[in-house]
Formats: sequence, C-alpha cells, structure tokens
Amino acid sequence: MATTKLGFVVQRPGYKSENPKLALTHAIASQSVEIYLQDGDLVTADIAFIGDGVLNCIKGQKAVENYDLNSTESHIKMALLLDLNVLVCKEDLDRYGLSESDIVIDAPEFGADMEVKVVPYSEITQMMEEMNHLLFF
Amino acid sequence: MGKLTIGCFASLVGSTNLDFAVKLSAAAMEKGHKVDLWVSGNGTMISLKDQRAFKDYSSLEKPLKELMAKGLNVTACEACAESRGYHADHTLEGVKRFSMDWYLGSTFDADRVLHIGGE
Amino acid sequence: MKLVAFVSDYKMTVDTLDRLKPEKLGIILVQNGVYHATTKENGKPSSLLNYSANYYVLQEDLETRGLSGANVLDSKVKVIKFGDIVDLLFNEYDKSAWL
Repeated sequence: MATTKLGFVVQRPGYKSENPKLALTHAIASQSVEIYLQDGDLVTADIAFIGDGVLNCIKGQKAVENYDLNSTESHIKMALLLDLNVLVCKEDLDRYGLSESDIVIDAPEFGADMEVKVVPYSEITQMMEEMNHLLFF
Repeated sequence: MGKLTIGCFASLVGSTNLDFAVKLSAAAMEKGHKVDLWVSGNGTMISLKDQRAFKDYSSLEKPLKELMAKGLNVTACEACAESRGYHADHTLEGVKRFSMDWYLGSTFDADRVLHIGGE
Repeated sequence: MKLVAFVSDYKMTVDTLDRLKPEKLGIILVQNGVYHATTKENGKPSSLLNYSANYYVLQEDLETRGLSGANVLDSKVKVIKFGDIVDLLFNEYDKSAWL
C-alpha cells in the first residue's frame, strides 16, 4: 500500500483561462483514481491558492447565470465535499484587502464537512514540501 | 530507468508547449525512461488525426506516431476532447482517451512529474 | 526540497518564484524565458538572474530566437539540450514547477 501526494498550486485568476478550473477538476478526479491503482494504493490531492490565484476564491460567483458555466466557487465547494485539503494564502488575501468573509470557506449546502483553510504562506510551503509532485496552474 | 509523467494543457496551434512536451518525451525515451503524456484542455488538440501540416503552425502528428511506436503512452482527456468536437472517430491512432483520473493514476508510480499547465 | 522551475515567459505574470525557498533551486529558461539569459533592459540584466539558483537555458529555444551567439549570454547561465533537462529532472532535482 502506498500513497502519492499531489499538490495543485493555483497562481492565476480564473475564467479568462481554463487552467484554474482544470486544476480543480483534476484534483477532484483524485476521488476516482482507484480504478487505475492496486487495492490500498492512493493518490491524494491538496489544493493551494496563492498570488493572484486567491481571486478564484471570491464568493458569490455568477458564472452559471452569465455564461452557463459551473463556477470556480462551485468547484471549490465540490472539493470540500470530497474532503480535499484546500489552502488559501493569507498574505495574498491581505494584499487584495480580502478577508475570510469575502471568500468561499465552507459548503454546507453541498453537505461538506471540510472548510477552506486560510493559512500563512509558510504553511503552503510546508504542504509543498510534503507532496511527492507539484502541479502549478 | 525511471518513469516521467508529463501533463500538457496548452493548444497545439498557438503555443509551443506541446512541441516542448513531445521533444522532452523523445529525449527521455532516448535515455531509456518510460514516458506517459497526458493532454487536457486545449492540449487535446494534439489527439486529432488528419491535421494538415503547414509551416506556420505546429504539427506533431509525425513525431507523435514515431514515439508512440516506440512506447510513448499518450492519453487525452475525454471530456476536454468531446467539448471541442474531437470525437473518438477523429482520434489519432494510438492515442487513448480517458477521464482526468487517468493523469492522477499515471503519477502514482511516476518518478518525476512535469506539469505544463500555466497560461 | 530540490526544485527545478521552468520559466517560459519573459514578462512573468506570477510571482511564485519570489517565494519558493527550496534547499536547492534550478531555473531552466525555455521558450520566451530564454530572453532572461540574453537581454538587458536599460543596460541591466534580468532580475530573474538574482536568485540563488543554478541557471540553464535551452539551446534550441535560444537558436530559434536568433540568440545563439555566446557573447549575448549571461555568464551565470549554462546552455543545455533536451537530454540535459531529462538528466536534471531525474538526477539533480526531485520536484518540478512550470511557472
């Protein structure tokens, strides 16, 4: 039995580019990866929003209403429902004058128990150290 | 020898990221490494067969076929391809199509992962 | 961690590199990133060359842009080929980042 840990690092805002959304959809795919693995083996996905990437986390996104697209907000909530570890850099939120009340923190309407963790960059560095592989978006 | 998993999300036409990924795959295989290449998002364009080669646009069908014949494992994100109208019957022979979990599965036993995802 | 970062742009849209503090950092300049190795703005070399890092630049991408003359290359930067990238990935660094 072995585990491979992947760190998804989102460093750009969404919508103009598909990449931040692809970070989330690929991370969420960790929940169905078992079909490619032996019993007991795992691939886990942690997600970190840093730099301009923290702007993906602003709540109240109306992508469905305006573009008929699932919002990045809804993908973050889905990640929480699936118990993925979602980190947001506190220094970068501060830089943009954002606080926890401005961003997606939880997803009770999805039935999620997990919450987004607003953490200093040092904790994101620590997460990156612990991962086997890093994927920057 | 090791295993390298490369993920590439950029378009074939309009970027040279896929050119980079294919050249790196060739170099790694030349040194005896196993290579998995995952293409997602606009990167699925590389999975389309019968693209006409012009000198003003990247064209990778020939080197891709040669590398697949030597063991390069190429898989395209099925949903990303379908959303762009790249259906199964348009797919270059040898390129597989699976959902995104295939990429994560490939990383499980990869010694190195290079994810070319920015932009 | 021993991290090798690929820089493919001349004007970076992310500042991630500023904050990564790996125990060993390699920076491979590819695509338009090669201009960091060759181009001076107002006589100053690129600030990207100020990190405590091992610098490499991809020969093919230099040549493609007409920058293959050794006289234009910053002395910190080593010219490499794709095979060298493979060796760096497998032998010198344990994680990679395409920024």
